[in-house]
Order: sequence, then structure tokens, then C-alpha cells
Amino acid sequence: MTVSDTVVEKRRGLSPRQRAQRSRGIQYAVLIIIVVVAAFTANWGQIASVFFKPEFVKSAFTTGLPGAFLKTLEYTAGAFVIGLLGGTLLALMRLSRVAPYRWLATAYIEFFRGLPAIVVFVAFSLLPLAFADLVIPLDPYGTVWLALGIVAAAYMAEVIRAGIQAVPKGQIEAARSLGMPAGVATRKIVLPQAFRIVLPPLANDLILLVKDSSLVFIIGTSAAAYELTGFGRDLANTESNLTPLVTAGFCYLIITLPLGLLVRWLEAKAARAH
Amino acid sequence: MALVEIKNLHKSFGSNHVLRGIDFTVEQGEVVCIIGPSGSGKSTLLRCANLLEVPQEGQVFVRGEDITDRDCHLDAARQQIGMVFQQFNLFPHLSVLANCTIAQTTVLKRSKAEAEKVARANLDRVGLNDKVTAYPMQLSGGQQQRVAIARALSMDPALMLFDEPTSALDPELVGDVLTVMRKLALDGMTMLVVTHEMAFAREVADRVVFMDGGVIVEQGPPSEVIGNPKEERTRTFLRRVLDPTHVEPN
Repeated sequence: MTVSDTVVEKRRGLSPRQRAQRSRGIQYAVLIIIVVVAAFTANWGQIASVFFKPEFVKSAFTTGLPGAFLKTLEYTAGAFVIGLLGGTLLALMRLSRVAPYRWLATAYIEFFRGLPAIVVFVAFSLLPLAFADLVIPLDPYGTVWLALGIVAAAYMAEVIRAGIQAVPKGQIEAARSLGMPAGVATRKIVLPQAFRIVLPPLANDLILLVKDSSLVFIIGTSAAAYELTGFGRDLANTESNLTPLVTAGFCYLIITLPLGLLVRWLEAKAARAH
Repeated sequence: MALVEIKNLHKSFGSNHVLRGIDFTVEQGEVVCIIGPSGSGKSTLLRCANLLEVPQEGQVFVRGEDITDRDCHLDAARQQIGMVFQQFNLFPHLSVLANCTIAQTTVLKRSKAEAEKVARANLDRVGLNDKVTAYPMQLSGGQQQRVAIARALSMDPALMLFDEPTSALDPELVGDVLTVMRKLALDGMTMLVVTHEMAFAREVADRVVFMDGGVIVEQGPPSEVIGNPKEERTRTFLRRVLDPTHVEPN
């Protein structure tokens, strides 16, 4: 007789419903204990003054939080465009009939998906040292968009490739039977449908990109170029208080929560269409 | 010169030898129905006629031009060959009207106004001029198939291929599609139709081709092939199709 058999036998007295009730009761008890312990042991006054001090929230707004918020949006939007264009190109290369294109795309995707994004950012921060003459245009946007976009393209390429492959073969056959060359069929028939299919996962990638934009401070931009994290970190340092960083953190939620809702809405819409 | 001429066509999928030497012509204005059991290669033959399937051996001539030749302008040849699929394959992201104009504007380089005029005329022809702004998902299967026919006709093809156009339809919707096809035949369109609708083949076809096992077993006017088949294989097939409850004596 195995161990589980004995357990089952011992509990034979309880019905499944009673057992479920007991399990739920234990879970509630544990939760109450944790809350009570936290309420009595934590120094709430100190926590509030370190993380949520109103005067620092106010000073964050007056010393440039709105600008940093805008920078985060700008960095993300530009990187998303680069990621989308690069990702589409990589996806088409992965599905190319020319084998070297497939190899190149696969190598790129595997490399940048496997690499921590922070490594790419550190590399970009060192580029000006290694290449003294190197000038990336649209400073600081050019560098940020490129660094974020290079990584985003690798992620989006796989999503877009899956979308292209999800378009039924009959669609291409119909387009080709009407005399459309392969390129026209891809642009007019396959890609529009593929993007509809991948809209929810792409919006998901956009959320990740919003958060990845916080790595920008590693490149070592000037204070004027600070996005939310760079700004919050800088102000938290000078004030020796975490409130500016927490405020910046909440700003991310202002962006990501609606995007999350958008993803869910898109997914529900896609589910209805099928 | 025949509109379509197929010579010694062979097609395999892996080890499955689907077409085993097909010789076959379609004349201008002819309506040819291909019948036969499933797996006999009739759909593959049809798909070879516009090279959606590339045969391993043999040639397909459209108006004397060998479209299996790699130097042939296949896209130009395909413009002359309309195709209607079993699963309709309408473009779901485009309206009914746009489904019928997109190839006209991108391939034939017609102006938008001209393309829409042609599309509306063809949608009128299939009885759907009130659906121009609808999207494929909003239509019944029978309506979708009629849009697919209008889409193909909008390219002014010399030949129309139909690949079991009514097989995916609910029985009560089959009639509308067949009516459109019958009208098309009366208008003099050259048609090559793979079908299980024996009544349609008998009534509309100039010639019926019976295929089995990747070869053409028998062909001729419907009164002969369906009415009085010479080959035993044709007779067996027709008995099964025309009277599904019939049990073969062993």
C-alpha cells in the first residue's frame, strides 16, 4: 500500500465538500495571521514617509515628472515602430525561399532574444568610446530607439511570423489565382490578415517595451533626456527618499494598465470573430 | 487551337502518384464537368490547370502558351483563368466590393472607378448587388461562393475553373450557386467544373470526364458518360452516387 492510499483512507470520513470548506478555512486563517502580524510589526509611519511622502510627490511633479513621462512615451513609441518594421522584415526573411535570409533572420532572432536587454544597452553606452567618430542622429532619440528597437524586433519577428503562418493557405491560392504576383499577395492579402491575428500579442509586446524603456538610463543620457525611471532614481537620490521613484512607478501603471485592458479587449474581439 | 491543352500530366505528393498521365483539352466555349470518386485526382488536375499545383511531368498549354515553362509569365496566364474554390477563400478583411476590385486595380492596373463598375456589374450578375458593402463573414455560404464567382469574373477570364463549388454548402444553398453557374454557361463562358452534382453535369455540360485512379477512364457527352457509360468503373461509381442506398452484390 502506498502513502497516498493511506491518506485517502484516513480522510474517508470527510466528504469532498467538507474537505474543500476546511481547505478554504485554512487559507483564510493564514491570510488573517499575515495581515495581523504585518499591521503590528511594521513601522507604518516610517514606511509612509519613505515611500509616500506627499511633499515629494508634489516636488516630483514640479521638477519634471511630466516631461519624463512624455520621454517614456516617446522612447517607447519610436522603438515600437522600429521593432514593428524590423520584426516584419525579419519574419518575411525567416519565411523566405532564399536559405541565407532564413539563416540570417534566425541567427538575429535567437541572438537578441537570448541576450538580456541590459547587455544591449550597456553595449550602446560604450559605443561612443569604441567609435569616436560615430554619430547616431536625433540624439538622444536615435540611440534609444535603436537600442530598444533592435531587441523589440527580435521578439516581434516571432509573433509576426506566427501570424503570417496562421493565414490560411487558401488565401494565398485565391490571390495567386487572380494573377497577383507573390509580393502583391503578401502585401495586400497576407500581411493585413496576419496583423489582425497578432494584434493582441503585439500589444503585449508594447507593454514589455514600455517597461524596457526604463533601461535607457544605462546608456547614460543627460538629465534632460531622463525618462520615468531615470528621473525617479535621480530625484530619489538627491532627496534620500523613495517617494519620487514610487511616483514614477505609478506612472508606468497609468500607461500599462490601459494597454493591458486593450489586450484583453482585442483578445475577446478575436475570439468572437472565430 | 484549344483554349487549354494538357499533355501527359503526372503529379505525385510524396509517394502518392495522384495523376498518372493525363491528356486532355478544353475548347473555347466548352463546359466540361469532371466527375469521379474522391482521391481520383480530379481536383489536382484542376489545380494543375492554373499551376496552383506544379506537375512533375507533362505540359499545360493555355492558348498555346506552355505555362509549365519556367520562362512563361505565369501571373499573366493566371489572369485569364478564374478559379472558384470549395471553401470560397474570400478575403475576410475586405468588403465584397473590394474583394472584386483588388486584383483589378493591382494586377490589371484599372482605375478604382472602372474596377468598381466592373465589380458591380459582376455582383449584379450573381444577384448580390445589394451586398457590395458587406464583409464576407456577414454572408451565407451560398452568397460567399457567388461573390467568389463575381471576383473571378471581374478579371474578365477566358476560362473559369470550379473546384467542387457546392460541396461546402448547406443543401438549401446549393441551388443559388448552380443557377449562377448555369447562367454563366449559357452566356458562353468556358468552364471546367469538378463536381458531384450529377444533375448539373447532365444538364449543363457539353462533355463529362470520368476520372479514377489518376487517369481519365471515360469521356464524352453527358448522355453517354452518365446516361450510358461504357466502362464498368464508371457504372459502379454512378450507381453509388445516384443511389447511395444501393448495396453492391458481392
